[in-house]
Amino acid sequence: MEQWIVVSIIIAAYLLLTLSIGLMAGRRSTHSVAGYVAADRSFGLVVMYFVTGASVFSAFAFLGGPGWVYSRGAAAFYILAYGVLGMAPFYWIGPRAAKLGRRHGYVTQAQLITGRFPSRGLSALIALLSLIAFVPYVTLQMRGAGIVIESVTEGHVPIWLGSLVAYGIVIAYVLFAGAMAVGWTNTFQGVFMVVIAWTLGLYLPHRLYGGLGEMFTQIEAARPELLSPPGLSATGEPWSWGAYSTFIVVSSVGLMMWPHLFMKAFTAKDDDTLRRTVILFPTFQLFLIPIFLIGFAGVLFAGTPPAPDFILPFMILETNLPAIVVGLFCAGALSASMSTGDALLHASASVFVEDGVAQFVELDDAKQRRLMQLVVLLTGAAAYVFAQDPDSSLVLLLASAYGIISQLAPPVLAALYWRRATTAGVVAGLLAGTATAFFFWQSPSLRPFDMHEGVLALFVHVPVLIAVSLATRPQDDEHVASFFA
Amino acid sequence: MSLRTARALTGLYFGLMLVCVTWPGMIPFSRVRPFILGLPFSMAWLGAWISGSVVVLVLLDRVEKRARVEAAARGRPGGGA
Repeated sequence: MEQWIVVSIIIAAYLLLTLSIGLMAGRRSTHSVAGYVAADRSFGLVVMYFVTGASVFSAFAFLGGPGWVYSRGAAAFYILAYGVLGMAPFYWIGPRAAKLGRRHGYVTQAQLITGRFPSRGLSALIALLSLIAFVPYVTLQMRGAGIVIESVTEGHVPIWLGSLVAYGIVIAYVLFAGAMAVGWTNTFQGVFMVVIAWTLGLYLPHRLYGGLGEMFTQIEAARPELLSPPGLSATGEPWSWGAYSTFIVVSSVGLMMWPHLFMKAFTAKDDDTLRRTVILFPTFQLFLIPIFLIGFAGVLFAGTPPAPDFILPFMILETNLPAIVVGLFCAGALSASMSTGDALLHASASVFVEDGVAQFVELDDAKQRRLMQLVVLLTGAAAYVFAQDPDSSLVLLLASAYGIISQLAPPVLAALYWRRATTAGVVAGLLAGTATAFFFWQSPSLRPFDMHEGVLALFVHVPVLIAVSLATRPQDDEHVASFFA
Repeated sequence: MSLRTARALTGLYFGLMLVCVTWPGMIPFSRVRPFILGLPFSMAWLGAWISGSVVVLVLLDRVEKRARVEAAARGRPGGGA
């Protein structure tokens, strides 16, 4: 039998398995909105750990990571650096948000913010910003799935069809089963990804170069500029420390502000589960090391992939591995893509309906759930259209989205920790920050020290939030007390 | 160790980590040699900070948990945070 047929069979089996796990999990959840969005607040440690890990590590890490290492070398180390820094504060923030969520019945981040700063406009603004940041993120996942399937089937299944099938399945289980399905499929996919990454990361350098040290000695001789941060820029020039450092800062600040991650605070069974997830998170971060080794293994490898994002599937095919290994790798990469994509679609619908529409229109529970399902379909369709654009780089798509999402950090922190903050201050800060991010995103040449637009935006956002809060009347003691009580 | 000290030390670790993985703290460590476990030095440097953070968080959690138990014994809800 031809290799690509064997590979396709393995992929099909894998996709079927994921679909059935997703649909079976959904039958255990109740039919309320809390059931759909927050899985009835029932996730234990093992599920939480893999949900978080698998939804952080996406096609971005699995394909974009090696792609960056291959083309830009140590520039990719920024991905290694930010995860832990971004996650650690959640040890305190998570349980605090969870406590408020349980008391006031919050299921989204915007509800938490507007619970403290009541304003329908603010709620809608947060819903809109989240949605704008979500579309490139989902796009990236779909494109990743399409890339993998197209390469390993030797073009027999093109990107448009591959991403359609993979995401058809994701949308099916998100639509019918909600958070419960996302939890259980991610557990399965998370385990799968970790095993595949370590196996290939240690195997490829050994097979191609005869060992790790040997591989880096050869790269040091041929391309030493790839081995020390800040690495190279997209055009192959040395990258600036300003950009490297601010990519780390903006990603750390933004990481837990992604609604699909922040909402984990509301799905955890108890606070200890949340805290333990944070403690174990760095172990997931270490899993980037084998991923990067795969990218480095490609550096001196003969032949060139059609684009850097294709390096991983390209090498897998060129090294003549048995069809079964290729199929399993492919399933691992699909796991990475789908396990983030499902969480994103699910969160975008929850946020859009709960925080956007429901603020302005009366909706009963059943109607809300139906509307969420419609939004899942629409977001999926929009991202699908963008995913067909051949000029997009996986890492850059995500880095731009972080500029927007990091602007949610000051309002969340103000809501949780600063009693003197006011609604006007939060709205003003958010508008000023977003406008700044948009301005520097549009005019990269004006950025001082080549800094990321998200960090520049925070430099404007935070002072505006503080100044306007102090200039306006403090919130009623009664309101603040009942929020924190 | 008191809760306050544990939190301050944790904050210090992550503050130091931020400085040591970005400009300018990263510059002296942005080098290829010596290899550590076969990895270039800069990559091993980041790996070490990540591994260290597991240890720091586990230790913090032990102190936090004890503080919560003590607080509960005194009849107050929560242990700060």
